[in-house]
Amino acid sequence: MAGQTLVRIHDLAKTFGEGKTRVEAVRGLDLELERGEIVLVMGPSGSGKTTFLSMLGGLLRVTAGEIWIDDTNIAALGEGELPPFRARTFGFIFQDFNLVAALSAEENVEVALNIAGLSGRAARERAVELLENLGVASRLHFPIEQLSGGEKQRVAIARAIANRPVLILADEPTANLDSHHGAETMRLLRELAKEEGTSVVIVSHDERLREVADRVLWLEDGTFKALHALVRDPVCGMLIDPDEAPASVERDERTLSFCSRGCRDEFLAQNTPQGYSGQEP
Amino acid sequence: MSVPLARRQLLFRKGRALAGVAGIAAALLLVLALNAIFAGINDRLTAYIDGSGADVIVAQRGVDTMHMTQSALPEQTATAVAAIPGVAGAEPILYVPAMIERGERRGIVYLIGDDSGGAPLPVATGQRPRLGEILLERTLAGRLAAPVGSRVRAFGQSFRVSGQVEGLASILNSVAFVRRQELARVLGSTGVVSYVLVRAQPQIQPKELAARIEASVPGVTASTRETFARSERRVVGDMTTDIVRAMIIVGFVIGVAVAGLVAYSATLSQLRDYAVLRTLGLRARRAVAVAVAQVGATVAAGFLLALVLAWALAALLPSLSPTLVLAIRAGDVAQAIVVAGAVTLVAAALPVLRIARVDPASVFRR
Repeated sequence: MAGQTLVRIHDLAKTFGEGKTRVEAVRGLDLELERGEIVLVMGPSGSGKTTFLSMLGGLLRVTAGEIWIDDTNIAALGEGELPPFRARTFGFIFQDFNLVAALSAEENVEVALNIAGLSGRAARERAVELLENLGVASRLHFPIEQLSGGEKQRVAIARAIANRPVLILADEPTANLDSHHGAETMRLLRELAKEEGTSVVIVSHDERLREVADRVLWLEDGTFKALHALVRDPVCGMLIDPDEAPASVERDERTLSFCSRGCRDEFLAQNTPQGYSGQEP
Repeated sequence: MSVPLARRQLLFRKGRALAGVAGIAAALLLVLALNAIFAGINDRLTAYIDGSGADVIVAQRGVDTMHMTQSALPEQTATAVAAIPGVAGAEPILYVPAMIERGERRGIVYLIGDDSGGAPLPVATGQRPRLGEILLERTLAGRLAAPVGSRVRAFGQSFRVSGQVEGLASILNSVAFVRRQELARVLGSTGVVSYVLVRAQPQIQPKELAARIEASVPGVTASTRETFARSERRVVGDMTTDIVRAMIIVGFVIGVAVAGLVAYSATLSQLRDYAVLRTLGLRARRAVAVAVAQVGATVAAGFLLALVLAWALAALLPSLSPTLVLAIRAGDVAQAIVVAGAVTLVAAALPVLRIARVDPASVFRR
């Protein structure tokens, strides 16, 4: 299972707008993902993480490039082919859980099975089994609004894995959870990957997720940056590419890079100015 | 699909669903009740003709109605008609609009003067009128507080109430009977009758007899009872068609507004759910079907409620106002179904457009 390539992304690009309003959200993305691998994509807000996740999940059309899931290039699939492909290939986990409020916990899982073509008792039994395995057996018929955040996320995970997807796409899966439930979600994702061979792509700002990730990618300005080449802003702690840092300061024959001039100014204000000189690239 | 998505979505906000059903029911009730009221008026409008026992009605040439109509025939017409082969009997009647008064109370009637005192219509209370007497419709008698034995006035003449008939009054008018020669005397129009009610012998068809009468007696129009009643209903129909049509349009507009508003607000609140379901792989046409099913179910429930309310009104109103009769007919129910269907289609259009265009990628927006 491990070592087999599941996802191959080549020269992926997405552009929004035209002319003066043209924005390159992502460009030239290349990535290979193996079965059972957990990849954490991090990066500052607006770096293109959500755009990348949407394209990978077949929710957003690519401007250029290819996204191969096994033998299928989803960038080439027609509008009519995408929904059933999504239903049987991907599991989605969201920051806000995105459970359907009008349905019970069990029905939220069952409806995903229905959409993929499994209905009736078989779907109900599978939904119940998943929820029992995830420890929410006592909440099967509860309205969503009566579940805790942790329970909601477990229902969402049950829904995501209901159709035995090969790839789970998780958008900030721990952001609305406390540390306990966040850790539990991380453990579940890890189990899925290592025991079921399900690949997982997580987009998040949560540093804790590094613990379960096999690989961490840094997405900034629409492209993946080598994480080892990044440096940390000494003021706000953000990882930044020193070659594209908007401000820097020479100190003790070292160059300190900052995510913004604001951080640089704050640094200079808090440190004795003798011997230091601020620079703007 | 096992999970009843449309039903769950619809019933999730019960208050909104009920408000939608009630609003649509009110709109469709407007259509149903108005049609039923006019149908009731039509039924009562021809009740005298239907119960008169006449197979053919002879009137002045060109006249084939009684309501808001005048017909004048020489009295000898009845004798001439009676002599035609195939005629079993020919009864001349006088038919005039009149104001019946008792003290300060008054009511409009079609006053019918005939020699039988209203036969063969059954007398509910009292007896048929003799000279100096009048037979009133029960509703009018009640309104005038004129029981049997009391006195009322018509054309300045006092009449003793001999009895009551029932089922002949509508919200438009009532009917009363007196002896023909007395009415002729009061009107000062002896030698003239309004209509001749003709009974056919069993071996001849009314239509054939009517044609034979027209061929034999100059200056008359002879109509079968069915044709005459149909013409009579058309008179009121012509007066009310525009009103009914306007009310149907009003009902339709209200229905569309209510159903559309409910459906659209429900759709807006469920848009994220639809986006999530689309992300999970729900096809756009299936999502649209879920939305249309919600609107359809709301309208169908509204229609059923309107039907039940219309039937309840039809049962209750006559006891409150005996002249207000609601007749719910299959054709009118079918018309309301068509209106409900149109409401569904129009009301669902906007939500369907929104849902069809919902962007699955929007689930990632916070």
